[in-house]
Amino acid sequence: MTSGPDAVVALVVLAAGGLFPVVGLVGLRWWAVFLCPLGGAVVAAVATTCCLGIGGRTMTWFVTVSALGAAGTIAGWWWRPDHRPWRSDRPSVPGSRVTGIVAVVAVVGACAWCLRTLSTPTVGFDTRAIWLMRAGWFLQPHHQLVADMSSPGIFLTQTSYPPLVSAAAAVGWDVTGNHSMRLGVVVIALLNACALAAGALAVVECGRLATGRLWRETHSTVRRLSAETPGRVDRRSGALLFLPSAVGVVGAVALVFVTFAVTEPFMSNGYADPLWSLAAVGAVAYGLQMESGRSAFGAAGLLAVVAGMSKDEGAATAALLIGLLVVRGVVARWTGPRRLWWRPVAAGLVGLAFVAAWPVTVHLLHLRAVHAGGAPLSQYLHRARQAVDGLAPYLHVVVLAAAMAVVGCLVLTPVRRAVGMGNDGWGWAGLAAGSAVILGAYVTGTADVASWLTTTAHRVTEFTALSGWWIVALWAVTGSAGPGASAAGALAPRQGRWATMNQPASSRAASTVRPASVNHHSSSDQMYLCSTGALSRSKVSRTRLRKGLSR
Amino acid sequence: MRETEASEDPPGLRGRWNPLRAAVGVALCAAGVGTLVIKAGHGEQTVQALRVGRPVFDARLDDAYYRCIDLQAHSLVSPGRPVLIEGPDFGAYVTLLKAVGSWVTFASHPSPSAVALSLNEATGRGTCHGSIVVAKETRPDGRTTTVVGSGASVAGTGPVPAPPL
Repeated sequence: MTSGPDAVVALVVLAAGGLFPVVGLVGLRWWAVFLCPLGGAVVAAVATTCCLGIGGRTMTWFVTVSALGAAGTIAGWWWRPDHRPWRSDRPSVPGSRVTGIVAVVAVVGACAWCLRTLSTPTVGFDTRAIWLMRAGWFLQPHHQLVADMSSPGIFLTQTSYPPLVSAAAAVGWDVTGNHSMRLGVVVIALLNACALAAGALAVVECGRLATGRLWRETHSTVRRLSAETPGRVDRRSGALLFLPSAVGVVGAVALVFVTFAVTEPFMSNGYADPLWSLAAVGAVAYGLQMESGRSAFGAAGLLAVVAGMSKDEGAATAALLIGLLVVRGVVARWTGPRRLWWRPVAAGLVGLAFVAAWPVTVHLLHLRAVHAGGAPLSQYLHRARQAVDGLAPYLHVVVLAAAMAVVGCLVLTPVRRAVGMGNDGWGWAGLAAGSAVILGAYVTGTADVASWLTTTAHRVTEFTALSGWWIVALWAVTGSAGPGASAAGALAPRQGRWATMNQPASSRAASTVRPASVNHHSSSDQMYLCSTGALSRSKVSRTRLRKGLSR
Repeated sequence: MRETEASEDPPGLRGRWNPLRAAVGVALCAAGVGTLVIKAGHGEQTVQALRVGRPVFDARLDDAYYRCIDLQAHSLVSPGRPVLIEGPDFGAYVTLLKAVGSWVTFASHPSPSAVALSLNEATGRGTCHGSIVVAKETRPDGRTTTVVGSGASVAGTGPVPAPPL
């Protein structure tokens, strides 16, 4: 029995389940296409948690939660018309749409090309023993699921791992009637590919945003200088402005192949490690490395929840990443209208609730639980040294990323700010958070570190290694913006403020709000642009902003 | 005063560090894209290596082995019947769990109505690469019966190659 068509059906059903919440969170963006199945997987995980904690069946809850998500999203659009996805008031830049189409086609093509590994019918050890075994359990009624989860005859404590991977496979099995291991593996591999594509498109988006900013800066400079000092601008340098977009597309396609090099067979043998790692990397890219905004934070939050509901180490990493997202959101709002600081905090609490739902339910029902801690304090140093020695061979890319970050921070910080990228420290904080979780597990665990590393080091370093590669790619995009930024006049002494002080006093008032299209941004986008410096924080704009927010 | 100067000479054309930034930017871009492309080449090699030779043979054997155990277990246990999974050792227990754990109904506690499944070593035809599923159940009269699974077989003996952990 071929699993390809059934896998497509499963993915479509998952995407339908996640469609409204995802579009509500991120709007009509290219990357939303790949987030929809992941959103559906979150819905499936929530459904499984409800089945375990409350009663009923997973599929009943899947339909119910999907409907509730759709109804809540539509109600949100009715309540806040400015959040409706079809009200797109983003500034348009020539070639931006073409870049998006080319990027999506290229990334999808690269993913499909690499997923040729599915022609080998590999089913991983843990895939049979944990992830797909539980997929069968999740299709059973509540009482049997509780019995399975608490049966003393099942010694594998990992069966209490977070449910997302198994729940997604269970939905696939149920809607197709094909309960084969092969279908489960293919569905998980396609979810991995969705997370990978979403994360890779974050790099493309950074390139497009950089090009957009440089293009608008050049546009305004050309107009100004044409009036004041004709002949001072070399229009041919405009070609440089599109270099970040091109590098973003090339980097995204390369990252697809790099991911398959890092994850090796685990990308297509049903393991949960690639999914949580890629989702966490995507959360870092959208939420901490990219220019923040409602869509990017929405994507980051969703990906963090995907990571947190996929595996134990993913849950711990996701909790830390959500904390970082909240801090970044609060800091951004603290420099703008402070009374809205609670919004990222509330969003973070919702994300943490999703991540904590399964472990809390397992704890409350006194079901089987993984006991991680236990090593004596006196062994911590020795175990840490062993762990670092064992993990280091998989993390060479971190050295490259660090070198690029040092050079970039020393020389290209004005460029990075001018093109709207987040502070590189945020990305490194995300990488450090995930690495600390992994190292902490080895240090505080009870198993022998040497043998533990032998069977797991490759998989658990995927997040750190991939984060390193994403940092490399984003510095490549930032570097590619260097020539264009220099030519465009985007680098001002007070970088990131768009240099209104360097303009004639007569034209300053007119250019206080830099891109003309910013005037049409939604209040949340204005608030963000203000916090990142794209929108000048003069009294005039603050007054405008408050008026906009009060509406 | 500075404003006047700046207005006559826009920062993008005036910044003396801009050539350095442009040069370092190009170098950083080249280094980043270059390493990404090299690693991407490794990725393509990895994908290719997973599609031919030993990994394919091992995966097919592994797939056939577990499918065989699954079918033999299906021949022994009717749907909904409580099942206890026994070894006789931990390796056999895990193998059996991996093969049938997704569909059997686990007994919440040992009971006479439950079927005890185990994976025993065997030789000859009708085995799954040297293993065979055995069901033990206790009849109402107290006697224990043992039934051997059927319906599938995989030639060969010994453990199948372990998939990557």
